[in-house]
Amino acid sequence: LILLSMLFPALLFPTPNNRWITNRLSTIQLWSLHSITKQLMTPLNKKGHKWALILTSLTTLLLTINLLGLLPYTFTPTTQLSMNMALAFPLWLATLLTGLRNQPSISLGHLLPEGTPTPLIPALIMIETTSLLIRPLALGVRLTANLTAGHLLIQLISTAITALLPIMPTVSILTTSILFLLTILEVAVAMIQAYVFVLLLSLYLQENI
Amino acid sequence: MPTALIGTVFESHLRLGFFKKLNGNFLIICSVLHTSRPLHTTQQCLAPLPPLPEKGGEVRYGLIPEEFFQFLYPKTGVTGPYMLGTGLVLYLLSKEIYVINHETVAAACILSVIIYGVKKYGSDVAAFADKLNEEKVAKALAVKNEAIKDLETAIEREKKEQWRVEGRNYLFDAKRNNIAMLLETNYRERLLTVYNEVKKRLDYQVAMQNLKRQKEQDHMIHWVEKNVVQSITPQQQKESIAKCILDLKALSKSAQAAV
Repeated sequence: LILLSMLFPALLFPTPNNRWITNRLSTIQLWSLHSITKQLMTPLNKKGHKWALILTSLTTLLLTINLLGLLPYTFTPTTQLSMNMALAFPLWLATLLTGLRNQPSISLGHLLPEGTPTPLIPALIMIETTSLLIRPLALGVRLTANLTAGHLLIQLISTAITALLPIMPTVSILTTSILFLLTILEVAVAMIQAYVFVLLLSLYLQENI
Repeated sequence: MPTALIGTVFESHLRLGFFKKLNGNFLIICSVLHTSRPLHTTQQCLAPLPPLPEKGGEVRYGLIPEEFFQFLYPKTGVTGPYMLGTGLVLYLLSKEIYVINHETVAAACILSVIIYGVKKYGSDVAAFADKLNEEKVAKALAVKNEAIKDLETAIEREKKEQWRVEGRNYLFDAKRNNIAMLLETNYRERLLTVYNEVKKRLDYQVAMQNLKRQKEQDHMIHWVEKNVVQSITPQQQKESIAKCILDLKALSKSAQAAV
């Protein structure tokens, strides 16, 4: 059973096998990969294209993990803060360090928005620094919180339905309808969170590349 | 390497003794094959791949391949697999091998959402994938057709050039005629100019001679008149005047008589 469940996700992504015209699944996956990469890479200049592989694979990873976590009896790794911080912190740090290494004055200059009145400058720099330093925390915690909250809601409401079923079937039916809506929301949230994570990373990259 | 992995999987499968169904075996082999794919370093085979089948395998209820039903048909008839399914589910439920808990409700929900999505948007997505493939093929075909068309126009142009080369002789003849005509015209013009010039000079000479003769004539007449006038003596003048008067008188008489 364990072997089966470990090997199952590999079936979802057939690797391209040198065919020019593949079956439908591969075509759709190729197309979606292409559109993701294109959308991520158009705002970036040439040097940013080095990040294409990691960002696209990150997107695919998060999307798969989130969506597969909605199935019953599955565990979603992204609900754990450790994994999300492990993803967010190094990547954010990488964007920061590339910026500081290649164009230190420009990336430091991002700390001060243009056109601020002179007396405000020190306070604004403090604020911008805090917002910069809080970014990895925000990235990791956002993903964790959203997914954990969703999963928690699903578990709790389904427990409520199971408990209410013998007592008040009507209430349980109503709650079931809530669960339906919630599930649709969860699907959307799963996809959106992955997207947002990678989008923000690419945004930080744009500033610093 | 994949064969070695499949070998080990087979051994573990036999040792475990689970999954008498065909699909489990197939799934394991498939997934092992796919997970070991990143380990391949070279291209698999350089020969042309066989074409993909047009339609996927027939499945009932989206999960169980049709072959399973066919497999059970000789022994149990049409309702065989359904009875097997029902019996299996009831067995799992009654023996609490599968416990109904909150996850069951969540499972029901998410499965219904998935099935609803697949039913509603399945054909659209399939049509989209087919469209992508069609566009790819159409692009390549368009390139091929463009190339063919370009070559055909090139062939036509070449033929036209060859025809032009044949007609080149006529062109040269016409040009030659033109030039000859030009030369002829030029020659004739110059001839005319020469003729006119010569005529002008000859006319001049003729005019000179005429003038000279005229002048001589005038001079001679003048000289003769002068001499004649000089030679008329006064006496002759008187005699002539008296004769003129007599003539006039005679004339007047004849005139009066006539009136």
